[in-house]
Amino acid sequence: KNFLFRTSKKKSGSIKQYLPSLQKNHNMVVHLFGTKTPGNLFTFNCNDGYLEAIVRGFRSGILSASDYNNLVQCDNLEDMKLHLSQTDYGDFLANEAGPIHTTTIQERCTDKLVNEFNNIRNQAVEPLSTFLDYITYGYMIDNIILLITGTLHERDTVELLEKCHPLGTFKSMASLSVANNVSDLYNNVLIDTPLAPYIQGALSEEDLDEMNIEIIRNTLYKAYLEDFYRYCQALGGETETYMCEILAFEADRRAINITINSFGTDLSKDDREKLYPALGHLYPAGSARLAKADDVDQVTRIVSEYGQYRGIFNEVAANQEKSLEDAFYEHEVKLNRTGFDTQFGYALFYSYTKLREQEVRNIVWIAECISQGMKSKVNHYIPIF
Amino acid sequence: MSGKNRINIFPTRMALTMMKSKLKGAVTGHSLLKKKSDALTMRFRSILSKIIENKQLMGTTLREASFSLAAAKYAAGDIAPTVLENVSTASIRTKMVSENVAGVLLPTFTKSNEGTTAAELTGLSRGGQQITKCKNEYQRALEALIELASLQTAFVTLDEVIRVTNRRVNAIEYVVKPRLENTITYVISELDEGEREEFYRLKKVQGKKKKDIARKEADQAAKKALKQVSNAPSVPEKVANLLEEEDEDDLLFKK
Repeated sequence: KNFLFRTSKKKSGSIKQYLPSLQKNHNMVVHLFGTKTPGNLFTFNCNDGYLEAIVRGFRSGILSASDYNNLVQCDNLEDMKLHLSQTDYGDFLANEAGPIHTTTIQERCTDKLVNEFNNIRNQAVEPLSTFLDYITYGYMIDNIILLITGTLHERDTVELLEKCHPLGTFKSMASLSVANNVSDLYNNVLIDTPLAPYIQGALSEEDLDEMNIEIIRNTLYKAYLEDFYRYCQALGGETETYMCEILAFEADRRAINITINSFGTDLSKDDREKLYPALGHLYPAGSARLAKADDVDQVTRIVSEYGQYRGIFNEVAANQEKSLEDAFYEHEVKLNRTGFDTQFGYALFYSYTKLREQEVRNIVWIAECISQGMKSKVNHYIPIF
Repeated sequence: MSGKNRINIFPTRMALTMMKSKLKGAVTGHSLLKKKSDALTMRFRSILSKIIENKQLMGTTLREASFSLAAAKYAAGDIAPTVLENVSTASIRTKMVSENVAGVLLPTFTKSNEGTTAAELTGLSRGGQQITKCKNEYQRALEALIELASLQTAFVTLDEVIRVTNRRVNAIEYVVKPRLENTITYVISELDEGEREEFYRLKKVQGKKKKDIARKEADQAAKKALKQVSNAPSVPEKVANLLEEEDEDDLLFKK
């Protein structure tokens, strides 16, 4: 009993040392719920053990190398459906009428992922529930951008609801038909979403009208990443160790992509710098240098100085067929795999979501290659386990 | 008449000259139309070969474009709703220019960029390169499609015109000209016949005249012979001469 008592004291101590630094950041409201952190060796399983076991069960259902081998050898989508029915996916395409299309496969696979995620989310308690909410904020940002674009061009917002990603739904979506212009949207709908602090911190109503929609998206995502990172740091323990590594890579990847993709467009270097998240291995020195870069070679040189990323750029240089995105995805999969290597942390929930997403991407890629007859490129998927 | 296949006109010389000039017109018309038909057929064949090669090119470009779309979706997620919502008006349009080929107006379509493409920054943080590649592939496919459209409209128009021209050529060659020629032959034959009749009549008249003269002479000879038998050498009859004054019996006061 004494032992237990001592460890709980340690927990609250670890929170307090983070609180002062959190209070310094005034623009962001941090979602902290009292001093709840995930349990450690002795207390984690009380609240979250069941869900962790479920996720590990799902993890073993992720398609293996032999499954992928079977899939690549299919000649048409019907064969693929047959092979997929023998995996964890089961009869998910059983109710589809007529010839199957790759978009149907993508939708049904995503549905499976969403079902599993919601299953876990509905049974989670604090602080896991907040963590899972954070995972959904990324999709929510995409949905909100879609809604803003639609409202700007005066489309029917209710139609847009069907195009939104199911993982990113929020409660005030039901009241969307009320908002007919951007100011209504801003004042009535967006303020009620969990993303309100990000929006209020970075954008005003006029900005929604004037700024390029992609810049809005990236500004929101930057705020989201920084917030998520701070939350993981606040959670501490194994969660912090693995999640911060993963999120740091995400931030660096976005910075590099924004830099490379903004060459030749109207995006100025200052605007570009404003979109880099304030975290990651490249921050702050590398980001400052990236902001001034003018072409891809400079970027390569700057980033190659950081040991983790030198390998990626070398791979891309060596292999003509592989693009930078492919190399980034591979690295992401590698990092997410490590999320399962530990216990008593929440990283595996995040890793599981991302790996399932990658699996859906792989399946859709193979399906497209088969249906378009480009079997030579079919091996560009990224094997997960 | 119906068996003869000629125009019904009165066979005069003027009609003949008229027919002859019409025939000349028909012949020139026929050669001109034939030239037009040949020129159009040549153009038609070249368009046909271009269409075949263009269709194959279009097949490959569209295939590559859809594949690049699949790659972009893999890298950047589902960009379709974002792109669709960002569109306001079409930024690539076609302009039609008419070209005159042997009297036929053939339309040609050219691509024109109007306005800028919105959503240039799509995929800024993820998959931007694949999206740009996809955009370029689809623009190439669009160019191939526009060219194919021009070629196909030209093909269809030319086909129609060539059919019409060939019909006209054949009509002249097999209907109009034979009819005219037959009419001309008929008129000529009628005129010839008339001439022959005329000639014959003349000959007959001449013959009659000769006969008359011959009879007269025979008469005179007969009379002479008669006189010689009955009289002395005949004193030539004194024919009254107005110039010589003679005693004449007064007509009024006879002695």
